[in-house]
Amino acid sequence: MPGWQKFYHDLNDKNFEIISIAQDTGGVKDAGQWITAAKPEYTALIDDKHVVTQLYNMVNVPTAVWINEKGMIVRPNEVAYVDNRYKAMHGIDAGPYLDAIRDWVANGDRSVFVMKEKEVKERLNPPSSDRTMADAEFALAEYLYKNGHGDDAIPHFKEAQRLDPENWNYKRQAWALSDAEKNYGTSFMKEVQKLNGKPYYAPRKLPQKP
Amino acid sequence: MIKVLICFALFGLLASATSSSAADNARTVVIYDGRSTDVSASAEPSKDLWITMDDLKRATGFVVKPQGVCRDELCFPLPAKRKDEFILKKGKATWFNLTAFATLVKQPVARDEKNGTWYFGKREDERGTYLASLEAPNFTLPDISGKMHSLADYRGKKVLLITWASW
Repeated sequence: MPGWQKFYHDLNDKNFEIISIAQDTGGVKDAGQWITAAKPEYTALIDDKHVVTQLYNMVNVPTAVWINEKGMIVRPNEVAYVDNRYKAMHGIDAGPYLDAIRDWVANGDRSVFVMKEKEVKERLNPPSSDRTMADAEFALAEYLYKNGHGDDAIPHFKEAQRLDPENWNYKRQAWALSDAEKNYGTSFMKEVQKLNGKPYYAPRKLPQKP
Repeated sequence: MIKVLICFALFGLLASATSSSAADNARTVVIYDGRSTDVSASAEPSKDLWITMDDLKRATGFVVKPQGVCRDELCFPLPAKRKDEFILKKGKATWFNLTAFATLVKQPVARDEKNGTWYFGKREDERGTYLASLEAPNFTLPDISGKMHSLADYRGKKVLLITWASW
């Protein structure tokens, strides 16, 4: 978050807003300290029901969406790092993406990084029936967890993970609320090792600037 | 006399304790549109969830009308030949089968039997509605101080929406 704060501050464009949204079941208790420390001038929200994960069919963090002045999606879900802190793990270079945002902020819909409607549509898919069911199981599990039934939540978190196995949000959040080794027989690092070279994020394609 | 009164008081306490624990066992919670409501479910054994018409309105906002199951302008007609699967009159109460309705409107249902909790997800008519228009779906969420913000408030600006997490 401090990285995005600096980026936003330096851009200093009144027609550009960052809306960052924490996907955290624990809400302010878990996400609050990071927001307080970053002192963002942009809009920092907390989503303790994973509303945005569901609504935008997201599977990982950080995921960004570009939305133009008319409220239309001009670049759908893609990985969005502000620095290269975890590059060794995922191989994504932050620099070109930040340049792309700067270009968009300067040129609006004329930017080469703004996708045509057809391309956006090609990249967006309706949620599968398994994903839709996974959303319901995950939401039920979150409700049980928040109402003091953490143990009863685990089978529903597991069912959500089984139904939508590529969804890292549904895995990592559940593991974080629990003893992952004990209750799920795994850990984030173990699961990353299992990828065995397969990319952790869906590859991002940015066009070359002419 | 005092002894009798104490006896009555004790009996009353016991009786209310027993009835409240029975009520706890039968507690049913419906989560619909993200909102949870305690309902009185039919005690008859069923894999379906039957609730009263009053609870249907309280928990979901839907009411049964001659033209179908409706909320404001939205109406889902019930198949004429299968009405018995959805509506059951028993004694003075009329029951509605909320899980059969979910199947009809292609709505996912997750159930936790132990806690009597039923989660109703997004109906088919609510899913992926932005894919044709590409208008970014709106949401309203709090900031750290609890102040609510909607994506729609930022119309007129470019918005970079970024999700992250503490985990």
